[in-house]
Amino acid sequence: MMKSNVDWGARFISIGENVHTTRVLLRKGKSIVTHEDRESISYKGLDNETKYLVIPEAFKERQEYKQGQIKHVMIAVTMAMSGKECSEPAIDYLHTLARKQDIAKASYLDVNVDEISYKLDEQKRAMRWLVESLQQISSTPLSIDSSNIEVIEVGLAAYNNDMPRPLLNSASLERLDALELAKEYEASVVVTAAGDSGMPEDVQGRVANASKMVESALSKGFTLDTIFIDPLVFPASVDKTFGSHALDAVAELRGKYGPEIHITGGISNVSFGIPGRRLVNEVFMILMVEAGADGGIIDPVLSNPAEVFSMDRESDSYRMAEDVILGRDEFCQKYISAWRSGNLDVAK
Amino acid sequence: MADLQDISNEKIRQEIEEFVENPDEIERNIETFARVRPLMQEIAAALIEGDDGTVDALTKQALEDKIDALEIMDDGLIAAMGVVGIKFRDNYIFVPEVLACARAMKAGMAYIEPILSASGVEPLATVIMGMVKGDLHDIGKNLCIMMLRGSGFNVVDLGVDTSDDEFIDAVEEHSAPILGMSALLTTTMPNMGKTIEAFIDADMRDDVKIMVGGAPVTQEFADDMGADAYGKDALECVAVAKGFLSVQA
Repeated sequence: MMKSNVDWGARFISIGENVHTTRVLLRKGKSIVTHEDRESISYKGLDNETKYLVIPEAFKERQEYKQGQIKHVMIAVTMAMSGKECSEPAIDYLHTLARKQDIAKASYLDVNVDEISYKLDEQKRAMRWLVESLQQISSTPLSIDSSNIEVIEVGLAAYNNDMPRPLLNSASLERLDALELAKEYEASVVVTAAGDSGMPEDVQGRVANASKMVESALSKGFTLDTIFIDPLVFPASVDKTFGSHALDAVAELRGKYGPEIHITGGISNVSFGIPGRRLVNEVFMILMVEAGADGGIIDPVLSNPAEVFSMDRESDSYRMAEDVILGRDEFCQKYISAWRSGNLDVAK
Repeated sequence: MADLQDISNEKIRQEIEEFVENPDEIERNIETFARVRPLMQEIAAALIEGDDGTVDALTKQALEDKIDALEIMDDGLIAAMGVVGIKFRDNYIFVPEVLACARAMKAGMAYIEPILSASGVEPLATVIMGMVKGDLHDIGKNLCIMMLRGSGFNVVDLGVDTSDDEFIDAVEEHSAPILGMSALLTTTMPNMGKTIEAFIDADMRDDVKIMVGGAPVTQEFADDMGADAYGKDALECVAVAKGFLSVQA
């Protein structure tokens, strides 16, 4: 399906996922350092200068911190909104995350504040603040992402309409009213293959649910090029058929709706539960495009499409990752064992 | 007190030496495996490898040798799953490897279960599991169920999008002492609290221990809602469920 004359490195529509409050850094990872006696996140600024964001003591009481994880975006958004002395470095941190995705040619910046708090008011406040703040420094349109439609509405309302259309992430059969919202705010829309009372179990379930959503969007006046189908990507490690379910659904939906509709998906879901995730994610990006997708929800800084689509597809590492995705490596045994022995071409 | 060298099986010795770091857990595992007979150690070693063929053959052989089914389950299969749990928690092994071990467990349990039920030995307890109202994301819950079943629990799976009444009816119908609820979305997470309140309203809160889990759920949130326990992953879910039983016993 992938045409050889298309430069996917340039054409791939990446929805940059880096300003998302679920993102974590491992405390024992290399970006967590002690700087001037304080535990800090070390990061590169836009001029490649090393900068530090101090982790406030208050966050060290939290469970995920004690389990070795730092929810850095959640921490930065909370600090940035506090209005205290620590706001400014936190704002710089978030703006750097956003600008780096711009530079990596992200087509949208996905913003999600779901984990800022379980209180709806605080989520709304954070969404409004983040949308306004990012638009000051980036001209990339935003993808407004939440599991709560009220939070999405706040984000769309705060969006500057002089910018290109935003994206609503997402509408589905369990959340049909999100289509109305996208219409009202003139947003493009991600429609997922979730059912009205459960997740799809196979290719046909995905195609049926996604088709109902596409038909519904078309009947409300959305044009094909403002619709992004998300076929729902599930972890290949949990069931060997999950990778193929998403890929086959993509192929079928592309055939059904032609070249104009967009097909995307949460790429990194595929590698949940296995090591060496980046390689599996990148090979999956390629397989999704081969099946007929034209984009994905990705970390465009780590997995820059320009580099991903020029990857060597003949290598052993590529083949092993492909086997994991297509369910040809039972319990991912070969892949994990190659990873353990250092024989995989993955970032250490 | 037993010593590592008291364990005859080399593979089990290596596993404990290489992957178990917590002193209490080292001691407990050494005590267990030094006590159990060599064939049980062999079964355990095969299960830890995720080798279902060998677990199948050795379990059959053990039963032919007139070893008690309960002993095979406790000293071979469940003891091994304990090691698997520790290795997963500490990031030495990954999700598909745990699933391979669960499959090996199932291969052994295929012989054990009919014997136990024929002889009137009950499962550890019945656990009711479901995703809360509005939540359709059940991969984590399904992992929990697989692990609970592998550890000797009888599990009733209510699936996704479970209403308060469905939870209450299931607990009542199965006289289940344990209820597990999972949520993957911040929007549906508060429904756990609502279900717990529904149990209070139905005057059934004292009849059942409630555990909660799912990506956005934290210990703080679990406490806030009045849950009895929180588990961060499938193996903690098993540990929590076992913890409930030991308190009741």
